[in-house]
Parts: sequence; C-alpha cells; structure tokens
Amino acid sequence: MSETAARVLARMFERMSRVIETEKDRLSELDGAIGDGDHGITMSIGFKAVTAALAALDLESASPSDVMSTAASGFLDAVGASTGPLYATGFRRAGQALAGCDQLDLAACRDMLSAISEGIRDRGKAQRGDKTMLDVWLPAAEAAATAVAAHRQKPEFWKAVEAAAENGAAATATMVATKGRAARLRERSLGHTDPGAASAAMLIKAMAATL
Amino acid sequence: MVLKTSAPRKGGPGRGTGPEGIDTIPLRYGDDPYVWACWLYYEDGMTQGEIASAMGVSRATVNSYLADAREKGIVNISIEPARLASLTIAQELKRHFGLADCLVVPNGDDSRPLIGRLGAAGAQALSKMIKSGDTLAVAWGRTILSVGEHLEMGSLQDVTVVQATGGTTASFAYTPELTTAAVARAISARCVNITAPAVVASAQMHDMLLAEPLIREQFDTLARANRIVFGISSLRPNSTIHTSGFFESVPLQHYLAKGAAGVLAGRFIDERGRPVAGPLDDRTIGISLEMLRGIGTRVAVAGGFDKVPALLAALRGGYVNVLVTDAATGAGILRADGVTSLDGKLSQRQKSTPVANSYRSHVKKFLNNPNDVVEEMLDGLIAAHRPYLQPIGTSHRALVARNGPRPGKVGLVIGGGTGHEPCFVGYVGKGLADAVALGNIFSSPPPDPIVKCAVAASGGAGVLFVYGNYAGDVMNFEMAAELAEERGIPIRTVLTTDDIASSPVEDKEGRRGVAGNFFVFKVAGAACDLGMTLGECEAVTRKANDRTYTVGVALESCSMPQTRRHNFEIGPDDMELGMGIHGEPGVSRERVRTADEIVDAIMDNIFKEMKAEPGDKVAVLVNSFGATPLMELYILYRRVEQRLAAKNIQIEANWVGHYCTSLDMVGASISILHLDRQLTGLLHHPCRTAILTIHAPEADEAAKG
Repeated sequence: MSETAARVLARMFERMSRVIETEKDRLSELDGAIGDGDHGITMSIGFKAVTAALAALDLESASPSDVMSTAASGFLDAVGASTGPLYATGFRRAGQALAGCDQLDLAACRDMLSAISEGIRDRGKAQRGDKTMLDVWLPAAEAAATAVAAHRQKPEFWKAVEAAAENGAAATATMVATKGRAARLRERSLGHTDPGAASAAMLIKAMAATL
Repeated sequence: MVLKTSAPRKGGPGRGTGPEGIDTIPLRYGDDPYVWACWLYYEDGMTQGEIASAMGVSRATVNSYLADAREKGIVNISIEPARLASLTIAQELKRHFGLADCLVVPNGDDSRPLIGRLGAAGAQALSKMIKSGDTLAVAWGRTILSVGEHLEMGSLQDVTVVQATGGTTASFAYTPELTTAAVARAISARCVNITAPAVVASAQMHDMLLAEPLIREQFDTLARANRIVFGISSLRPNSTIHTSGFFESVPLQHYLAKGAAGVLAGRFIDERGRPVAGPLDDRTIGISLEMLRGIGTRVAVAGGFDKVPALLAALRGGYVNVLVTDAATGAGILRADGVTSLDGKLSQRQKSTPVANSYRSHVKKFLNNPNDVVEEMLDGLIAAHRPYLQPIGTSHRALVARNGPRPGKVGLVIGGGTGHEPCFVGYVGKGLADAVALGNIFSSPPPDPIVKCAVAASGGAGVLFVYGNYAGDVMNFEMAAELAEERGIPIRTVLTTDDIASSPVEDKEGRRGVAGNFFVFKVAGAACDLGMTLGECEAVTRKANDRTYTVGVALESCSMPQTRRHNFEIGPDDMELGMGIHGEPGVSRERVRTADEIVDAIMDNIFKEMKAEPGDKVAVLVNSFGATPLMELYILYRRVEQRLAAKNIQIEANWVGHYCTSLDMVGASISILHLDRQLTGLLHHPCRTAILTIHAPEADEAAKG
C-alpha cells in the first residue's frame, strides 16, 4: 500500500519549503528591485511554520483536508503582511475542496489548484495582469482543468501546469504593478519579474515533483 | 515660478512666424525647429555651421534659434530633461523596433489629460504623412477620436477616410462611425463608413453581410487603404474594450484565458503579437490583422502604463511602424522588452551636478540586532507607556488600553505596520483606541493579534476596526473580522483614506490612509467613549474620514533597519509632492521649492476638495515624516495658518509634531479636518494616551494650544 494522501501533501509542503529555502536570496533580490526586499524571507518564515505545524499533525489519521487547513493557519500566524492572508486563504480553500477526498488523482490536483488560485483571487481582489502571484496560479489552474478535460496522463498534466506557471511568471515582467507596494513604482516595475509570481512558480514546480 | 513648463507652441511651421524653408523636420522633434536646433547643438555637439546645413537654413537663423530658445525657456534646466528624455525614448523605440518613425510626448506637462496630448501628437504625426490621393483607414477609440479632434489639414485632394471596422452602439462618444467622421471632417476627405455591425450574431450572418454589394464596395475601399491610424486597447478591467460594450464579456474571458494581451481594430493578439483565435473571429466585421499588416503606414496612437503589454505585443507583431505615445509608456515598453541602456542615458542627462558620490554606503542607526528592532522597540514602548497600555497575553503585538474597554461600550481597535510611531500605538488609552495590533515594519499584523485585540476591546456592544486602506491590512483585518464574528463579536470597519494625493476624487475609496488617521482615530475613540452604538460610531468615524484631507511631501526617502539604505532615491534637488508614508508615489516629482510654495501647492490641492465656507472651523495637523525637525514644521504651520485666515476659516485646534512617521523619512504632511458641530464636540472629548491627552472641559483651553 502506498503512503496516504495526507502524507503525500505533507511531503509536498516539505519540498516547497526546501525550494523556497534554496531560492530565498534570489526571491529577495527580485523583491529588492520592486519592493522592500523581504519576499524570500517572508516565504521562508511562512513555509518553515507550515512544516512545523504539519510535524505536529498525526498524518496517519489526518485527511488531505486537515493537512491543507493546518498549513493555512501555520502560514498565517507566522507571516501576516499580504502573503500570509493570500496563501492562507488559498490553502484553506484547497482544504475545503479536498474534503472527503482520500486520494490525489488528477481531478483532485485540478481542484486543489483551482481552489488555491480562487482563494488568492478572492482574498487579494486582484486579477490577471496585475503583476501578482495570481498571474501564475490562474493560468496553472486553467492548464490543469484543460488537461483533465482532455484526459491527459499524469506526466502531460504536470508538464502543462508547470509550463503555464513558468510562462505566467515570465509574463509579469511586461506588466505594471497595480497592487501592493510595487504599485508605487508604476512603470518602473516593468522588466522585473514579480517576486510573488516567481515564488508561486517555484511552489507549483514543487507540487509537480511530488504529486 | 521655476517649475512652470513652457506653453505648448501654437501653430506649426509655415504659419505666422514660422521658420523659413524648413519642411523636413524629423518627426521626433515635433513641429519645433528650436528643439531640433537645440538638440543638434547641445546634445549632438554640432557647430552652428553644421546645424545650418543639416537644417537647410542660414547660420544666422541657427544663431537666432539658439538665442530665442533660451529666451523662450526651451533651453531651461527645469523643463528640458523631460523633452530630451522623450526624444531619447523616441530614438530608442525607433531603433529597437525598427520603426519608420516615432513621436513621444513628454510627461512633464500634466496639466492636460493624456488622451488629449496623445491626440494632439497623433494629429501632428498624421498631418506630416497624409498626402493627396491617400486612403486612410481609421479604427475606433477614445484616443483616435481625440486625434480627429486635433487634426486640421486643408489643402489635400482626393483623400478617402474609411472606417476600419463595422459599427457599434452609439452609447459612447468614440464609436467607429464618429471617430472616422471626425478624422474625415478634419481633413475634408470623403468619408466611407462600413454600414454593418462590428460584431454580428453568427458566422453565417457575417458571410451574408459581406456578400452584400454595398458592404463589399466599402470593404474594397478599405482594402485600398495605404495608411491606417489605430489605437491599442489592453484587456485591463478599465479599458474601453470593457466599458464600451463593444464585445460581450463572455467571449472576452475566452480570449483572456487564451493569453490575449491586446486588441487592435477589434482583433485579439497575444503577448508576442500572434493572433488569438476565439469565438468572435468569424463574427467580427472589419479589417483583419493580415490586412492591417499589409498597409504601408501603420500609425498607432496609444499611451498609459496599463497598455504597455498590449503595445509591446503590437510592436512585436509588426502591426505598427509609426508609434505615437508618451514618455512614461515609451520608457515602460523599452524596459519591458529588456532594453536597459535607456536608464543610463536618461539618468546621465538628468544628473545636473555630479553628486559627491555619497561617501557613506549606509545610514547610521541605533541598533542591536536589526532583526529584533520591532521586538526591542515594543519592549521599550510598553515599559515607557505602562500607565496607558499593556500586552494582551504574552505577545507584544497586541496591546490593550488600561481602563479602556468597559461593558456596554463599543470597542475601538486600530493597527497596522510598525515604523510609523507614534502611530498607531501612541493613540491607545482611555477615550481613544481600546486596543492596537502591530505588524512588522510597514507590514500588516496577521489576523491572530487583531482577533486578540477585538476580544480584549469587546464590551458586548461590538467592535469598530479603523485602519489605513492598504492591501495587506485590509486582508488581515478582514480575516480577523470574520474570525471575531464567529466568536459572536459584531465588527464594523472604517478604512482611512485621507491621502487625497493618492487617487483622484473619483476613486476616493482607493485612497490610502496617512497622518489624517490621527483625526479619524480621535473622533472614533470619542464616539465609542460617549457610549454611541456601533452603527453610530461607524457613521461618525466615516464622516470624520470623509472630511479629513492630507497631502504629504517627501524630501528624502526612509531607510529600513535591516538594509540601512534609502529605500529609493529622490534626486539631490527634488522632492515628491503627495508621497505616502511608505514612499508610495504622489502627484509629481518636482524641484524643491520654498516652504511657502510647498504649503501653497498642498493647500491648493486641499481647497480643491474641501468645500469650506468662510467662518467654518477646521483642525490642523502638521506632521513630520520622521527626520524633519519641529523648526521646519512651524514654518509650514505659519503658512497654513495664513492660507486658512485668508479664507476666513477658523482653526479650532492644531497639532504640530511627530504624529505619523515613516522611519527616518525627511518630509512632512499637512492634514485638515473640516469640522462640524458634532465633530468639534468629539475632537474635544477628553482622552488620555501616551501621545494625546485632552483634559475635561475646564482645562480645555490649555489643550487647544
């Protein structure tokens, strides 16, 4: 018997935390160009808190939904700012979407991606083109929906999702920030990848590698 | 006035005192031989003799151009950077995208709306290109209508102007029909409209209509077009694409999802300029992208930051060979396409005197471990202000007023990032805020301490949240409000939006909250203390916020403890008018002026919105952003008092000092609360906090200052 869905999700968060830890300087550097330079640190604090919170959870009896909502509160209590509520809401919605689900097939992954991106959108009231993490999460969720509708196999599914995420992150360089502190730079934010979008693409990559 | 930009030049060459014999001024110099001469002389370093032969005029004329240019203020340190910058950007755009020509209007002149300035520039470009016998296709849009309105050419023959797309509803002013007609009228041309809708119900209807002889004839005219002028629309929510109802919104979502970045003449392209296929394609009547690209002169007139991705897409796709835009958008396009050489060129130009390259690389601060500043500050602050407040539980990020909350009283919770001291924590105490939630520097607290504050402040009559309108704060306080309501505490929220420089009056709700917080908190605290209901407290707090007007000016940016570097740069002789308390942009970056002129600019802005009658009363707050000393604040206050006195507006109360700061930013803000009877009473209501104490009425006079 393979490991439980809850364990797989916990492993996904560990991988996310590792990726963020490795890349945190690059993220802060990206943020330094258009923000206050602490995105890498914020994300690192947030995901460390997530893994700590998950370590306290009994993964044998926990449901995937429990893992997501534990991750949400762990992240939020540690971070605040704007990243905190955004990911916390995204993860919490994913928890709701996964309620009653005990295996992570592609349909579940699709639901999770779309719940995360909708949660982030609803909480931040941003939309596509605002140069935010949403420019990664929305296309990734749409790619997932398209792939499931076309009955793609797992490798193609994640390939499409990752590609959509990476294109989305790259496209933020051509956008002008209208949300958050980067908005203060107006057109000076052009040519810079949004750090929140860059970290979102990293998280999706970590998802693809685990699920 | 040092800052005044020169008046736009009326009339072109060939009219009035126009120059002799010049008919070939490169487009990028506008219609201005003075600028051309000055560019060649000052920028390219040519001699007057060389310039004479380049321009095809005599040396004496060049000489007088250069002299006149100084007299007219064209060569003038204060305005030329903007003009030269736009020339540089035009040259760079032309080179980078291989354009036939490019005209960039400077952004310095903000007195006219962008659409009008683009329209005038587009008209100027067209008037140089349209020749007798031409067929000019015209797409619809606000900017192109503006081109038509500015265009004036009389002496052409046999010009045909043809509508590039079908028609739309006439519910807005810039329909394809009206836009085309305006252009045709301006150049006395024959006008050919496409007498079919731009979008029809089905592909069959499309084919049937195009088979109609009349429409086929109109399309034949369109196919003969040798020039086209068109706007470029983004797919952003406020773009004309949405507001005009040109397309139904459902197919729009389809194109968005498929990566559409812009719209030209009703056709969708992606970020690389490739056509995006969708359900409207077969139902759209008008020029195709392929037809458009086949036209010889393709003039795009468009500007505004939100159009950068769309413009870049159109340029990448080769749909444009003459571009008319504004300097900021032009620079944005170049940056977005990775052209970085521009920044060097621009800053090199704008550098008036070489700064003694700041010999220090960091700002000195009193620090132990930079990562502990917030905790250490809170330790000290809690110890210092023990008579007024105490921590809720063990965390120092949620503090409650001693003797503040009481049964039956609405609780007042305020909060936000740190770095603004004495805001927010200085306003916690009896008669003012009951509790405060604090985040990291310039960063919202998470919901958890906010909920703790709500619970601690609750006296059973509900809790009012009052905080500045920032994305992070709104999200965290909203989540906290949901959590508090789950625990049975009714929550109402008032966002402070007093910074009138942060958004135009039409977008009042989008403004940010700055030093005017002081007045809004005071009024809210008094209302709660007087035992008003939650609804009443909310209403009067909202009124106080609506009647509070703040404008700030920054001279130097602040530095974060972790980096000890300035967060951004304000040039050695510049200031930013309208800057927010984290360094958000304001109305304009300008040369530093005298204190009185700065106050005048601020008060003019405030008077524009505050409808005060002679005899009305106000409260005034002159606030330092951190590093500006009281001496300078009093100089500012002096002028504020003079300006109000001149309008016979009475200052009921005033505060001058550090009330809402931004670490060590150099700068100040002026806030005015337009009082009425109720607000006056609430302002004088007693309170006792670390920063603001107002005594009961008998001692009232002393507190008023």
